[in-house]
Amino acid sequence: MKIVEIAKFTSLNRAPLVIEGYLFEGSDPEAPSVAVVGAMEGKNILPLYTASKLVDFLKNKIQNEDKIKGNILIIPSINSYALNINERFWPLDKTDINMMFPGYELGETTQRIAKKVFDAICGYNYGIILESRDDLSNCIPYVKLFKSGFEDIEGAKTFGFRLISHKELTPIDTVTLQYNWQLWETKAYSIICPNANQIDINSSNEIFEGIVQFLSKNGLIGYKVLNGFESTVATQDEVEIVKAPKSGIFITTRKEGTCVSKDDVIGQIVHSLNGEIIYNFLAPCNGMIVCCYKNGLILEGTLTFRLIGSG
Amino acid sequence: MQVKEIFSSQLPVGETLSIKRSRFEPFKKSDNLKRISIVSGTHGDELEGQYAIYLLTSWLSENPDAISGIIDIYPAVNALGIDTITRGFPLYEVDLNRVFPGGEDGFLPGQLVHALVQDVKGSDIAIDIHSSNIFLREIPQIRINKEFSNSTLPLAKELNCDFIWIHDAVTVLEATFSHTMNSLGTKTLVVEMGVGMRVTKEYGKQLLCGMLNLMKKEGIITTEKSFEAREPFLSEVGEVFYLNSPSSGLFVPALDHCAIIKKNEKIGTIVEPLTGTVLDTLYAPNGGILFTLREFPVVYEGSLLARIFGEKDR
Repeated sequence: MKIVEIAKFTSLNRAPLVIEGYLFEGSDPEAPSVAVVGAMEGKNILPLYTASKLVDFLKNKIQNEDKIKGNILIIPSINSYALNINERFWPLDKTDINMMFPGYELGETTQRIAKKVFDAICGYNYGIILESRDDLSNCIPYVKLFKSGFEDIEGAKTFGFRLISHKELTPIDTVTLQYNWQLWETKAYSIICPNANQIDINSSNEIFEGIVQFLSKNGLIGYKVLNGFESTVATQDEVEIVKAPKSGIFITTRKEGTCVSKDDVIGQIVHSLNGEIIYNFLAPCNGMIVCCYKNGLILEGTLTFRLIGSG
Repeated sequence: MQVKEIFSSQLPVGETLSIKRSRFEPFKKSDNLKRISIVSGTHGDELEGQYAIYLLTSWLSENPDAISGIIDIYPAVNALGIDTITRGFPLYEVDLNRVFPGGEDGFLPGQLVHALVQDVKGSDIAIDIHSSNIFLREIPQIRINKEFSNSTLPLAKELNCDFIWIHDAVTVLEATFSHTMNSLGTKTLVVEMGVGMRVTKEYGKQLLCGMLNLMKKEGIITTEKSFEAREPFLSEVGEVFYLNSPSSGLFVPALDHCAIIKKNEKIGTIVEPLTGTVLDTLYAPNGGILFTLREFPVVYEGSLLARIFGEKDR
């Protein structure tokens, strides 16, 4: 394993931002290669943890270096300036690095960061991007793929997650890493991690095991793993949404990953001053809650639950 | 004048977020009146539009007899952001001008912009007033997507701005208010002027004159008063040159905003206070007008320092 410097940016008063990659060179020249991108946002705690755990696994746990067949590059952190002060985006101008791809070497700071990262990860056969949802909800771990015409659904199934979200491409998605990476012929997948500030070991293990399964099934490592789920591919039309008709204190009684029956109470809104329960959320169908609003205070109109129906 | 709530959401503790529109229309109503919508405050840290709109609503209130069309005013699309110095939609940290056209079943910021689109839809003209951001100061200018320039350029020339910047179509900008409204048939212009978190009084007055001039030309107001619109320079007759910071430090400008400069003229320095070192000295890559100048002095490598509009040196 060697550590490669991908980018270095100085600051007026802070220590330089150094973006490092951990490169594991494979033993089989015929094997495919993969790059894994961790935290692009300062609130991507689980992406950071998962990527660093993967470094530890490949460096210290896999036991025999020959088991690493293809080249594997892991970049655990891109936006450490934001991670270190609990900011979400680039701390100075609040721009989102994941909206700057493919980057521009003569552009603004985050465009330059994106360009240097993109140069380092271009040409890999596979690309894994560890992300969080951009709204205020927690979700079960899943693979997000845009309907770009370049997406690889079959490859996404080899992670063994329960869900693959096959999402319509919107204009804003054309500047993401996933889209641009695919455009440059890398089979790229976004793994959406729960949004928590603390590490949820169960979710973390599920994501980590999914990536190891992917590496194994695609010939990047020679490492036996238990199979995961047979993934369900869902489009936005197949997602049932539940909105909050009132505001107040939000209590979820059923969390993401729970199977529910139609009309089960899945959450409540409590009046924030008199403490009365003013609304019960009922499941709109039989199925699984895949996303759940995560804050204790809720605004009227908030998209609160997303379910995938069954039956 | 009537005030209508176009979107509302109860907040968790005893408060309601309310997005409002005021409508000015003639005493004598008739069908087929022309309608213009003036929108601002999509970014909570951009306040130039607040003042320009205040001047306009004030003028309309004082001249009700002049109103011969419908004038809809949306001063604070991101009302919560404006009152809390937050550029994006608070809580979600989302740039509202990147989530258009939104949708009823989308997340809350998407529902808000959807409500705005539904209300503005059907207007003949819309003006979306921005103030750059907190980092850059801009002269009053209109930004136009080339895709819609045939219909919007003649209107832009009436707005009394200094510069009209016609840019190529960019896919990501399809998520903006202006692209959405232009696609729906409302001729929409984007004004950029001044700087974030501040009000530049002369720019507000300049734009007021332009808005009244445009409305008079379009028959939305009818008055004997005349409004002069200055001749703007068009981006197509020259070129925009960018100057990004080569290093991180403190930017100290050597020139004033709007200065007419020559190639290789000193624009400023990047310095390091700790050691008294001048890290870099910046020179103009081309002659022209310094129409964008950095206002916020802390810079990283890549931060935009200035834009110059001029003829390319041969």
